[in-house]
Amino acid sequence: MKNLKTTKLIVALALSACFLGAFQAEAQQENYFRAIGSPHKPKVEIAWNRYYSSEGLWDWMKKIAAAHPNLAKIESIGKSYEGRDIMTLTITDFSTGKDTEKPAMWIDGNIHSNEIQGGEFSLYVAWYLTEMHADNEFIKQLLKDKTFYITPTINPDARNNFFKEPNTANSPRSGMIVLDNDGDGLAGEDMMNDLDGDGHITMMIRKSQTGRFIKDPLDPRKLMAVGPDQVGEYEMLGQEGMDNDGDGEVNEDGIGYYDPNRDWGWNWQPDYIQRGALRYPFTLPENRSVMEFVMKHPNIAGAQSFHNSGGMILRGPGAEEDVNTYNREDIRIYDAIGKKGEEMIPGYRYLTVYKDLYSVFGGELDWFYGNRGIFTYSNELMVSYLYFNKEAGRGNQDEQLKVDHLLTFGDAFVPYKEFNHPQFGTVEIGGFKKNFGRAHPGFLLEQDAHRNAAFTIYHAYHTPKLSVMDVKEEDLGGGLKAITATIFNERMMPTHASQDLKHKIERPDYVTIAGAKVVAGFVVEDEDMKKFKEQKSSPEKIAVENIPGMSAVKVKWIVSSGSNYSITVDSAKGGKASWKK
Amino acid sequence: MRKLLLTGLLLGSLICSDTFAQSDYPTLSQVSQRLQKLSSNASVELKTLTKTAGGKDIVVLKVGTGAKDQKPAIAVVGGVEGFHVLSVELALQFAEKLVSENSSALEKTTFYIFPNMSPDAYEQYHAALKYERRGNAVAMDHDRDGKAGENGYSDLNGDGMITWMRVEDPMGEWTLSKDDERVLVKADRAKGEAGKYRVYKESKDDDKDGEFAEDLQEGTAFNKSLTYKFPVFQPLAGDIPVSQLESRALLDYLFEQWNIFAFVTFSPANNLSTPLKYNAGDAKKRVVTSILEKDQTINAMISGIYNETVSQKAFQQSNQGTDGDFFQWAYFHFARLSFSTPAYWTPEFKGKTNPEVNYLAWADSLGWNSFVPWTEVKHPDFPNQKVEVGGIKPFVLVNPPFEKVGEIAAEHTSFILKLAEMQPKLEFHNLKTESLGNGLTRVTVDLFNNAPLPTHSEMGVRSRWLRQIRIDIDAAKDNLVSGDKIKLVESMEAYEKATLSWIIRGSGNITIKAGAPHTGFVTQTVKF
Repeated sequence: MKNLKTTKLIVALALSACFLGAFQAEAQQENYFRAIGSPHKPKVEIAWNRYYSSEGLWDWMKKIAAAHPNLAKIESIGKSYEGRDIMTLTITDFSTGKDTEKPAMWIDGNIHSNEIQGGEFSLYVAWYLTEMHADNEFIKQLLKDKTFYITPTINPDARNNFFKEPNTANSPRSGMIVLDNDGDGLAGEDMMNDLDGDGHITMMIRKSQTGRFIKDPLDPRKLMAVGPDQVGEYEMLGQEGMDNDGDGEVNEDGIGYYDPNRDWGWNWQPDYIQRGALRYPFTLPENRSVMEFVMKHPNIAGAQSFHNSGGMILRGPGAEEDVNTYNREDIRIYDAIGKKGEEMIPGYRYLTVYKDLYSVFGGELDWFYGNRGIFTYSNELMVSYLYFNKEAGRGNQDEQLKVDHLLTFGDAFVPYKEFNHPQFGTVEIGGFKKNFGRAHPGFLLEQDAHRNAAFTIYHAYHTPKLSVMDVKEEDLGGGLKAITATIFNERMMPTHASQDLKHKIERPDYVTIAGAKVVAGFVVEDEDMKKFKEQKSSPEKIAVENIPGMSAVKVKWIVSSGSNYSITVDSAKGGKASWKK
Repeated sequence: MRKLLLTGLLLGSLICSDTFAQSDYPTLSQVSQRLQKLSSNASVELKTLTKTAGGKDIVVLKVGTGAKDQKPAIAVVGGVEGFHVLSVELALQFAEKLVSENSSALEKTTFYIFPNMSPDAYEQYHAALKYERRGNAVAMDHDRDGKAGENGYSDLNGDGMITWMRVEDPMGEWTLSKDDERVLVKADRAKGEAGKYRVYKESKDDDKDGEFAEDLQEGTAFNKSLTYKFPVFQPLAGDIPVSQLESRALLDYLFEQWNIFAFVTFSPANNLSTPLKYNAGDAKKRVVTSILEKDQTINAMISGIYNETVSQKAFQQSNQGTDGDFFQWAYFHFARLSFSTPAYWTPEFKGKTNPEVNYLAWADSLGWNSFVPWTEVKHPDFPNQKVEVGGIKPFVLVNPPFEKVGEIAAEHTSFILKLAEMQPKLEFHNLKTESLGNGLTRVTVDLFNNAPLPTHSEMGVRSRWLRQIRIDIDAAKDNLVSGDKIKLVESMEAYEKATLSWIIRGSGNITIKAGAPHTGFVTQTVKF
């Protein structure tokens, strides 16, 4: 009884606080002045200078869907290994047609659990599109024409592990399946140990007469190697941890190890060829749910996957063995969008995975393109260029120490502290925190999220946009007339990537005439030279194998009757368009 | 006399009700009865792994005694191709013979028997319309035109089976074989030969796209759907490897069975009559497509034993694997020793080189009625041309008449049991304890793989899905002055030894244990 009362009181207090808060926000907004390019009075106020757990991301997604019921819907597309939902937002102007009938952009983040900001960046796209819609003509038209499927985390279990459990900036990377990494028959018997209990796995050093390092006298955070003729004071012991199973190794069998980005069904290779692969493509339930969603949504024409780090806009192929999969016509489009991205996101470079990074078999972006013909980029978010607008190179320790000195005031580093280690004796533990280096510091998050969002919007804008135009009639005499129609694609991407055409991945586009009696139907190969390719069966529904970007396809019918006819085009990746006399 | 007669009748009926009664390959329900019967044996666990899209069970028989998971195991797989009905019968008979006649093999070895990986397709053998089917029951768009299964076979001559049809056409590529007029061969254009026929599987152009039987009413073929050289986008393969319930269930199960060291698959591929050939270039590439050098030696050795055990002499056994198949997967992607044989093929007969001519000559000599004579039919797609239906009956090229199966099964059972005898076998030898004074003892012992097979194939060493040999000593860590408490050994060759040594403080009994699930475990107790 007493408990109940207390609860009621708290609820009442919370409610009043809520109202008060809303009222104050309303009053304060009168004192705002619009900043160009940002939602001015967003219905959902999200702080873009911090990170959210999986539940935190979903909470925002639900709020977005609730605040914009005509623009956003939320659904679970599957379950993770630990049973969490894989939550996806569908964003489009539902008043102008079904999401599935418009060319769509798939966006996901966080496939590698430690690469967290993909979650916030994906969420930013959803937030930006829904909150800008009311005020911005471009976004309004974009959501009339296109659909966005946004899944901020496709690795929700291990995303939470990264935040909530002790980790380095590089762990877990996999999901939460625990495998036998050292081949001793036991799985996960020697995980990392957070010896100092601060939630970060840092480094262990030990004073040693034979050590080859000293602490920098000007900066005790920094260990420097002594010269070849000098005696040092410290030795490096490696990662914070212990030998838990008595096999003489430290932290050798933790979560994983596998790589969710080696689990996709294009040019998949087993673990001995491609480390990190599992049993077969889509072993992971998280990836499987994405695959099944994409298979059920052939309208997805573009895709973006957010990783970290290094400031890269990556395209496939992931492996040299796949060079011929990406042919010249498609690469022209990849290049046009990717190079625009370099301008939009300072410090980021447009690169090709296999030649500029490393080889990847069974990667997500190769599956999207190779298997489904979807133009796909992976962005490696965060680049040190953003710190001082200078190229200091990746993982430059001196620069990082300077950042933490001048910009984050010591927030990024755990100072070395003594610890009595059961196997190593007295050691010192310290180093950079897990959420520094690969993850953006708070003050850089919103800007980079916006730039990357703008890039995916540009990409989505260039999925096909079809229209039926320039319909002409010609009287052939004898009650017959010829009708010619032009199907124009006013964006860069074709309705079928050349990979798609090569393997007939997606059905052809259909151009259909209704309300006329069709005698014969043709694809026009050369109008001036009168070259036509006849389609003998079902001539009223002409199958067009592709409508290339920024160009047109013409079709022609000979009809014996019909004056009030209509012409529609129906393309899996290009959406629908129609024309009526 | 009457009594004798009765006994005889009784015996006869008993025998009849058993496997001998079978005059043809079993139906799925007969298979399932035999599996049930097998499962009543104490050494047999029958488990359903999944149901196919067609609602058929995919099962495994795990046969063994004692600590089954700690003994090296052989997996025997049948029904990898649905039309290869022999393979199901061979797997079943192996299980039956193992349990009833060879149960002593279970002391050292565990067996996993997967009798039928393609039950949906297998059923076609007994269906009203019989044809060689590979695909399961999912709907599939083989010709990738956006519509699934819209042009399968048609029984044009109404004989209940799908054979071939030939259309008389001077533009055709086929002509009659000079050795046997029943057989069609490609016209030899290099010799200026003209064609006479176009040849198709017995079908109509149901979807009016100008193609025949190009979009079959069957789904994914198990033996074309695995990850090794997956033929993406090909008919019967689909878009993604291991996409089907049965393939995923099988692999998920296999990845949990750490003790399997070898596979014997009954499938059209054959690396037993002749071993796979090592190709240095392909073996050294990042994506390996040749058997590795040391493993070729193993394959050759096992092949030798196969040829000694099985009486059929190899003839035209050139299929050593096809893209996406199971037997190559088991080696190249699952890193186990992997052997496959069709178990039956047409022998060389009177020097005929064309396989069909050779088969027909042989079948004729035995009086087998296995040819449907070419007979004219009316064909809606060729109203003005002569169309005839005929050809070798389905199934007969790869499945012998049922009465021949007994001998084939006996020989192949004996081969598998010989393979089991060669399995890795760890032993401890030459245990020595030396007192070093002051309570210290040095313990030395040899670990020996007393087997003609290594503990890990060369491919096996590379794989994380085979465990290393783990050597544990149960001395307290503080008493272990030198030597590893846990030591992992990557691999031991055939008849290789490894000398192990520790210095231990104190006195008493300790136990040393060595092994991996697929090599078995040994222990050695030491008193000092």
